[in-house]
Amino acid sequence: MALIELSNVTYTYPAAKFPALQNLNLQVNEGELVALVGANGAGKSTLCYTLAGFVPHFYRGELKGTVAVAGVDTHTTPLSELVLTVGLVFQNPFSQISGSKFTVYEEIAFGLENIGLPREEMKARVEKAMTLTGIVDLAGRSPYALSGGQQQRVALASILAMAPKVLVLDEPTSQLDPIGTREVFQVIKTLSQQGVTIIMAEHKIEWIATFADRVVALAGGEIILQGKPEEVLASPLLPEHGIGISRYTSVARLAAQESLWPAGRRLPVTLTEALDGFANT
Amino acid sequence: MNSPFSLYVARESGLHHLHPLTKLTLTFGLLIAALALPWIWATYILTALVIVPLSVWGHIARPLLRAIWTTVMPFAISVFLIQGLLWGSGTELFRLGPVSLKQEGFVFATASTGRILMIFGAFLLFAMATRPDTLMIALKQIGFPGGLAYIIVTTIQIVPRFQAKANTILDAQRSRGLETEGNILVRARALLPLVMPLVLGSLVDVEERAIAVEARAFNSKRRETSLVEITDSQTQQIARWLMMGLTVGILIARVIWR
Repeated sequence: MALIELSNVTYTYPAAKFPALQNLNLQVNEGELVALVGANGAGKSTLCYTLAGFVPHFYRGELKGTVAVAGVDTHTTPLSELVLTVGLVFQNPFSQISGSKFTVYEEIAFGLENIGLPREEMKARVEKAMTLTGIVDLAGRSPYALSGGQQQRVALASILAMAPKVLVLDEPTSQLDPIGTREVFQVIKTLSQQGVTIIMAEHKIEWIATFADRVVALAGGEIILQGKPEEVLASPLLPEHGIGISRYTSVARLAAQESLWPAGRRLPVTLTEALDGFANT
Repeated sequence: MNSPFSLYVARESGLHHLHPLTKLTLTFGLLIAALALPWIWATYILTALVIVPLSVWGHIARPLLRAIWTTVMPFAISVFLIQGLLWGSGTELFRLGPVSLKQEGFVFATASTGRILMIFGAFLLFAMATRPDTLMIALKQIGFPGGLAYIIVTTIQIVPRFQAKANTILDAQRSRGLETEGNILVRARALLPLVMPLVLGSLVDVEERAIAVEARAFNSKRRETSLVEITDSQTQQIARWLMMGLTVGILIARVIWR
């Protein structure tokens, strides 16, 4: 059964002439990791904010259709309650720090204080979230005295501590260096393996190809393609809509033009597939 | 532990362990005294007898005096130059060519500098010895709305954060060839490319931070709890009432004998 269900969703930002999302239908099953790909302005972030209820509660505008997450209607449920069902982490690690807490440990507890958890439960949840994200050693540090990757893991831990059923990540690595990116992706991979349902907008195709269960490609606010990573990410439709493709797909496409890629073989999206294909040329 | 984006200076001291509201009441009282006391030397005496000893007790005398020196000195110099030398008419203390120092200007500049010294001193003493999060908890415990307490706490910390952001923008613009040093015209021309990204960037930050705290149930209607415990005592409660009484007394006296 689908944990997330979007039916005929169309959304227009206030004062915008055209909708950012158009007639969108999407189902996501429990435990699935779905990656959203698309060019800038394709509607990835808007979709993330819609799933997390910030559209329309925060951004206002006009939302048509229905969005249900774990049986909760995001349109009619107050945002402060919805965040217990859907957790949102976004691009900028710096601005996700509350600014009112002194240590990483206390920063992660910020949301738990807001929902009125007893101190002992708070501590248990904070410690579990820190273990999951691999930041136990940062507990006593100032959230501002960390690298971008560490800050993003603190942001992830802060949301995980709230124990949401669904995790929505809007380009969580876009402002990080390669080391920070690797740190965050490793946490996402661990969470996915533990059965957390994750929706992630992301440009880093090679990472998506290695562990997403499903890829949804967006263009102009509409879904143009969805399916397994190897099917979607190797599709010629992606470059046509300005969506980046894996470097392995690019190399194999050039090789295929020179008959250096096995005829009839699907283009690779991961390093393993590329190596395997070239070995059989 | 110090935070690079907070004025707080971590020390193990009696001042640091005082309840945040005790320190806030004292700061408020000092601010009112700085503005309301009519005697020219009162602010200097109170700074020397209250703020400096408290900073010594809190082991923050050195950073506090350094911060006061860098913030108050430029103001003091400019106010003495402007008010002392350009005062229209009055008793001349001495003359140097076309410029003369007037007694009335000198008195005004001394009083203004004293006020700024005490206001900055009180604010810095409070900010350096009070953890922002404990202040937020204390404010909420006395019934402050969560949103207002959050604004107060983040505002206290905004200065160093703003400074860091401004330095980043300054470095970025310099690396692209912007002249920021030289005569006043060059500096004025450099102001716009520095201020615009700072203001616009800060507005974006505000929106993102609003989303971030909303995502952590900031506006939840549930009864809040807190991870950190803050301790209070009857002595401190009495001290707070006394300080509030004294502050109100100063205000009333000021109104009566204005």
